[in-house]
Amino acid sequence: MSVNGSRVADAFTDGRTALWALVGLFLFLLEAGAVLNFVVSLTIDGLLAIPGVDAVGFLTAVENAVREIPTLLSRETIPNQGYFDGSGYEGTFLGLSPAMAWAFRATLVYLYAFAAFGWGVWGYRIYRREYRAADWTPRDDVFDRFRGHKWGIFGLVIVFMFVTMAVFAPALGPTTVDQNMRNSYGHEIDYWDSDSGSVETILVGDANLDSLSQGNDQNVEPWTYDDYGRFHPFGTMQDGSDLFTFLVVGSRISLVIGVLSVALSASIAATLALTSAYYKGRVDLSMVLVSDAVMAMPQLLLLIMLTTVLRESWINEVYSGGFLLALIFAFTGWTYMWRSIRGPALQISEREWIDAARSFGQRPTTIMRKHMLPYVTGYLLIYGSMTLGGAIISIAGLSYLGLGVAPPTPEWGRAVNLGQDYVRTGSWHISLIPGILITLVVTGFNALGDGIRDAIDPQSDSAGGETAGAGGGA
Amino acid sequence: MAIPVIWLGTSMTWYIIFMGPIDPATRLLSEGQVRNPAAYEAAQTQLGLNQPPLQHYVDWLSSLIVFDLGRTWLLYQGSSVNALIMDFLPRTLWLGFWSVLIAIFIGVPLGFYAGMRSNTVADYVASMGGIVWRAMPNFWLGIMLLAVLGSSQAIFGFSWEAIGPNLTSGISGNPDLSYMAGNPIAFFTNPNATLQAIKKVAPAAIVLGSASMGNEMRIGRTAVLEVKNQDYVELAKVKGVSDRALVYKHILRNALVPLVPIITSEAFLLIGGSVLVESVFGINGIGYLFFQAAIQGDLPLVGTLMYVFILMIVGINLIQDVLYTLIDPRVGLEGE
Repeated sequence: MSVNGSRVADAFTDGRTALWALVGLFLFLLEAGAVLNFVVSLTIDGLLAIPGVDAVGFLTAVENAVREIPTLLSRETIPNQGYFDGSGYEGTFLGLSPAMAWAFRATLVYLYAFAAFGWGVWGYRIYRREYRAADWTPRDDVFDRFRGHKWGIFGLVIVFMFVTMAVFAPALGPTTVDQNMRNSYGHEIDYWDSDSGSVETILVGDANLDSLSQGNDQNVEPWTYDDYGRFHPFGTMQDGSDLFTFLVVGSRISLVIGVLSVALSASIAATLALTSAYYKGRVDLSMVLVSDAVMAMPQLLLLIMLTTVLRESWINEVYSGGFLLALIFAFTGWTYMWRSIRGPALQISEREWIDAARSFGQRPTTIMRKHMLPYVTGYLLIYGSMTLGGAIISIAGLSYLGLGVAPPTPEWGRAVNLGQDYVRTGSWHISLIPGILITLVVTGFNALGDGIRDAIDPQSDSAGGETAGAGGGA
Repeated sequence: MAIPVIWLGTSMTWYIIFMGPIDPATRLLSEGQVRNPAAYEAAQTQLGLNQPPLQHYVDWLSSLIVFDLGRTWLLYQGSSVNALIMDFLPRTLWLGFWSVLIAIFIGVPLGFYAGMRSNTVADYVASMGGIVWRAMPNFWLGIMLLAVLGSSQAIFGFSWEAIGPNLTSGISGNPDLSYMAGNPIAFFTNPNATLQAIKKVAPAAIVLGSASMGNEMRIGRTAVLEVKNQDYVELAKVKGVSDRALVYKHILRNALVPLVPIITSEAFLLIGGSVLVESVFGINGIGYLFFQAAIQGDLPLVGTLMYVFILMIVGINLIQDVLYTLIDPRVGLEGE
């Protein structure tokens, strides 16, 4: 696998690879500022956490320098928050209307994301055709089968769009969380006052109070402007803040909690399944007992119980309670995944190569890691994708009930809750839109799971994996 | 297997509640009372928290075994938990019963239909619908359903309240089951009240059953597809068995087998989901009680209710095993 110097040189004399690398460089440069910004702020946070290091001045200088690097997909390059000054728009991108400027930026973000994805696939194919020593590996078949699986591709596209939404959340919203929700009285906007015929200035908080969505007489519908010339793609919420911004930022926390919890529960499930499959007998039996006992407590109820009990502990401070939620999910959700991979793991433990490895005197942990784990990772992927959908539903369900993610942090379930009283009025969008998004994303994850399953194991009956995305009944 | 599972589950609950970072005694008392050492002492004594943990554990467990569930602290202050559960449980059972039944009667036939006509437009529509239906969050679906039913006059041209039995107290809320109290035969002898109670929980039951409905449809479809290609179906066809008999006798019966574990394992979802659905539809069921107890800090009640839930789930699992052996004799009780 190692690419030595001469092959790298070969690569750049070969036209296609050089082109590929150039395109990659170009894509990177477009967003270099954002990447550097992310890295720098991460290191600063890391350094500040270490006691005894006093480099604040230097670090802020670096941070500011990085901020100055222009980025294509940022609010500064393509601004949409301008105002009408009687003859045209001021401060928006190319003088477009705020709606158009925002739509342009959002489209560009998605184009960029798909271009980056396509670039990755392109690179893989060049590697496969030109540089890999083997003409064919079993994994190629998996990829090819997945490419022919329309339903799986559909799922992948949805999931990818969701991930893009979470990654580019600050650039996608028509406004920012800080300006629009958290610190709305610390920001001012200019707007065109048609009564006086002049441009006026108002605090965002005051403007929000005049753009509430609370029923028929007070409502800012999706895809409209409010009285202050601010564009709302999904309308406003019941407190006048922008629903789209809320949802986009909320997708971040859903995704982070979901991925973290699934990764944790997958590792717990894999470890336990391999252990029980390797040792069988009593070890296996006791694990069945433990998992049955955990499963006998309905997952959602267990979640509610644990979140209330742990609400005041320090761990709930981390990431607005999201980290705690992920931990709880992992410790209540591993049983389902464990059940699903225990069978395959038991089958593999009966194979000859396990016996052979044992007779060579390899240690059990090595056998499990090297000779068993690779055969169950496929199943982990499948069930991981499917439980992710369920986890997203459960997170939303908990925050609908007012548990889980702490209130000022945007979360999809809370939007449903906030809009519940207005569903039958003109402000139906507050509850309806987040629900549709959840449904879409969960369907996407389930479809992706189906696709991966059919790609990895074409013989499997599609009746398997029924733990899919039901979210413990949320 | 059932007994150790119950024991282990209950022990975990005990540990989480009484050994967790929150002192249940302080949660039960108001701000002022916490500072009053006498009140705090009294609460601790009553909860038995001044005993050594092991002693407390044994006491707690043994009182659960004999169903001496004590009294509530905050919620319906001071009422007997046994009476409270007896009051709340029927509504949840009623809701659960109908959600299972509705899911079976819609999901299974749809799945079989899709399986019989596999790869047609009807199949795709049904399968797609099932997948999307399953991915919808219950609480959101409930809100939307209530909104649609509430304005059904404007949307469908007839009002949900007006068709069928009359609902006197709005479209959502508690089903009136009091007519059956102490007299279960009233279910049949008083059909009007029965229908009213059914109609009251029907929207909630549909929502609660939505996830299972999707699952049952999917399994039903694959089961039919599998059975359809079995040799004995071919043989029956060659023998000249009529289409109708073929479908009902040879295909459907065998396709039902894989559905049994699915239907019973939905119990997990139903009981878990009852919390959300009951809060959305305003049904005072046991899930709602659990949620209220949890957010108001009546942790002892939370623990007790969790014990009841564990008993219910383990009981359903036992029923599933028995059912499974009855339907498919090839599966032994010691099976796997």
